[in-house]
Amino acid sequence: MSEPSLSRRAFLASTGLAAFAGPSLARTGSAWAATAAKVGTPAPAFSAVATTGKTVSLADHAGKIVVLEWTNHECPYVRKHYETSNMQALQKEATAQGVIWLSIISSAPNEQGYVSASQADDLTKTRGAAPTAVLFDPTGVVGKMYGATNTPHMYVIDKAGVLQYAGAIDDKPTSRKSDVPGAQNYVRVALASVAAGQPVKTPITRAYGCTVKYA
Amino acid sequence: MGTMGRMSRLLAIALLAICLMAASAGDGAAAWSGSPRVTVELVSERDGVAPGKTFWIGLRQTIAPGWHTYWSNPGDSGEPPQIDWTLPTGFTASDISWPNPERIRLGPAMSYGYSNEVVLPIQLTAPANLVPGTQVTVAGRASWLVCEKECIPEEAPVSLSLPVVAGEPGLHPTGAPLIARARQAVPSPSPWPATFTATPETVTFAVAARGLVPDRISEVWFYPARWGAIDHAAAQQARVDARGITVEVARGQLPEATAAPIEGVLVLTERLDGGVVRQAFALRAAPAAATSGLALLRSVALALAGGILLNLMPCVLPILSVKALGLIQHAAGSARAMRRHGLAYSAGVLGSFAVVAGTLLALRAGGERIGWGFQLQSPLFVTLLAYLLFAMALALSGVFVIGARLSGVGQSLAARSGYGGSFFTGALAAVAATPCTAPFMGAAVGFAVTQPWTTGLLVFEALGLGLALPYLLLTLIPTWQRFLPRPGAWMKRLEELLAFPLYASVAWLVWVLSQQAGPTAVAAALGGLVLIGLAAWLFRISRHARATWRGAGLTAVAALVVGAVALGPLAGTAPARDPAQAAGGRAEAFSPRRLAELRAQGRPVFVNVTAAWCITCLVNERVALRSDAVTEAFARKGVVVLKADWTSRDAGIAEMLGSFGRSGVPLYLLYAPALSGRAAASAPAVLPQILTEGAVIDAVNRI
Repeated sequence: MSEPSLSRRAFLASTGLAAFAGPSLARTGSAWAATAAKVGTPAPAFSAVATTGKTVSLADHAGKIVVLEWTNHECPYVRKHYETSNMQALQKEATAQGVIWLSIISSAPNEQGYVSASQADDLTKTRGAAPTAVLFDPTGVVGKMYGATNTPHMYVIDKAGVLQYAGAIDDKPTSRKSDVPGAQNYVRVALASVAAGQPVKTPITRAYGCTVKYA
Repeated sequence: MGTMGRMSRLLAIALLAICLMAASAGDGAAAWSGSPRVTVELVSERDGVAPGKTFWIGLRQTIAPGWHTYWSNPGDSGEPPQIDWTLPTGFTASDISWPNPERIRLGPAMSYGYSNEVVLPIQLTAPANLVPGTQVTVAGRASWLVCEKECIPEEAPVSLSLPVVAGEPGLHPTGAPLIARARQAVPSPSPWPATFTATPETVTFAVAARGLVPDRISEVWFYPARWGAIDHAAAQQARVDARGITVEVARGQLPEATAAPIEGVLVLTERLDGGVVRQAFALRAAPAAATSGLALLRSVALALAGGILLNLMPCVLPILSVKALGLIQHAAGSARAMRRHGLAYSAGVLGSFAVVAGTLLALRAGGERIGWGFQLQSPLFVTLLAYLLFAMALALSGVFVIGARLSGVGQSLAARSGYGGSFFTGALAAVAATPCTAPFMGAAVGFAVTQPWTTGLLVFEALGLGLALPYLLLTLIPTWQRFLPRPGAWMKRLEELLAFPLYASVAWLVWVLSQQAGPTAVAAALGGLVLIGLAAWLFRISRHARATWRGAGLTAVAALVVGAVALGPLAGTAPARDPAQAAGGRAEAFSPRRLAELRAQGRPVFVNVTAAWCITCLVNERVALRSDAVTEAFARKGVVVLKADWTSRDAGIAEMLGSFGRSGVPLYLLYAPALSGRAAASAPAVLPQILTEGAVIDAVNRI
């Protein structure tokens, strides 16, 4: 049962890579194509082009804690966390402790949330965001590899490169900004555990938000 | 940001609309509000409220084309609608009863929700102290997420004013049908038990929905109540057969989700002559291991009862009679020796069952489609069993003597060989029992073969224990032995007499062989029997000969037995029979295609699943199926008889047996003529394993 779906994913990923990605997504090993991310196992390697035009790889940040944030600035659920400064606060808190924070936009061209590099940088500036980098994944290869279905969809990778958290940003699956103050932030908790070298208590949660606007 | 501008303009218009509508909300009427994508209103089933009564209202969402709102489990993204109530004092509102959703696929993600229109039913309970003639207004704030490809969270006030009436309020002309339709779409509790098994990759649900017509079910989908247990977006492999429904789907992300029961909604789309019907059932699937506890207990109990009844079956009775004689002999010995004989006999039965069941389960695990009695499908096994019974019969006839066990009336039985003999008799009883199916056994054995080997073996051993139990108890409880007759010379005569049921069994096995493998096999087996006879005679005379001759004699006996056994494979090499010819008589040979053809023609069909080595089957045929009254009843109703002959291996028949939860013959099915659009009429009636004329005629009369 999972065989066909895995191979379909592999097929999508590999054709996506071959057809569209070109130099922007380097092949970083054979395992990634067939293996979707799974908590407790090594996070699949990937490379994507950042707003700076440079290619950023997960491997570049080996030995560091990495947060992946799937985002779409027009999604009401993303806006919930940016318009309350909840996301920015967490980004600042994390990066101040040496965490690498990669915001990933998997929206395809002409889909909601798709932006140019300069628009993305503008958004970062105007919203006061503090990611380490904003990456583009217009073919959806990275998103599908990680099984990202929502914006926001959050992942925490530990220093050893093992995926330790996947899911929602917090436990209030609504778009109401008033729910932010009382919520338990799963990512903050996961980061604290990972930094302390302890297992994450709630390693997998249901992500909530808008669907990722894949091609 | 053009879209955003457009959106806020639309929102402004919508807000204006809300204000206007709220202002115009009148008596007993609902106010609608919302956005250009979704308008919402509260509808009521009743046109008034009675004090202290419970009634249905509904949140009606009218959704613009292309947009959708969400179910209680929205799937991979999204959010279910919500209502924050402002209820008058004393009122309570239930949670939403969610109508079954549709699937909305967006890229790699799956959403569960509603499009076009949905009414979400809610139960309100009014306080008893309402004053008739007054007006109550239930109000709330509805919020929901609506998505096309993009998602917009929306909210709007909703309210409903109703007069308080004494007595039963009437049905609301528009609200009542809307709520009735919505409640029909709310899943009803599943009438069938459900279980699931999980592997690291998949979750497989098994719903014991027997008697569905697979051809009419066009779609099966399981909507989990919560995220995590299964992959929402993965394809679901559904199979519907007479045993029920299985749905296999890729596992979800939450590993611990399969540790507890999985709840959800099973939606069956059935094609009826009048159109398509969607039926939704609320399921709670327990992990298979947890429920099999009860099923196992039931199967063990059935197997035990079946085993006890096996003692009375014609295949076991001769062997048991020999054993009973032995018991009377042993009565002269000590109670301790007696107990030991009982235990040795039981060990023989259990050991033999373990070997047979273990082989059966192992072969099935290897993909062989075989069932109970499978060993009798092997001509070689049938031949060897005939030799064995023949040798026993010769011993009873006094042609030769094995130790002092069978003929030494009144002699001391402390000899070790006595226990070995008891063990051997037990083993033989178990082997001889195979062609007989006692009542209760079918279901137990059918269950056993589908279970993991430990569970399966447990059920088979319960069957063996049942078979051993009467004799075992007799040896263990000395007071019961008082009811046994006193030993005497009559025993010798009875022993000689008991040889004849065994000779009859041999004759029967040779006939089975003739059905299975033809004349060559019969000739080989008969030749083998002659060699066994010669060996038996040589064995006797050599025992009284001088030592040198004795050695030669025993060598010759061994050679003859080896020769007889060597003839066995010759029996197995004969070509398989032509099934049409095998069916014989008035019955047509069974094939799934022929069954479907006849049923398509609207003919009633009786399917007789049988085997030449199945004594129960033969007795049923003789007593019930071939009687004049049954023949007449079949003719009157135009029943076509199909005979499925399982004398030799047949994967198709094994599969059909499996689909009725059976693993052995007999199985009798009576298909009523297919009525238009009636699913229930299309499932066959399963007749008892021990048939009577009356039971068959009753069943025929009911169609």
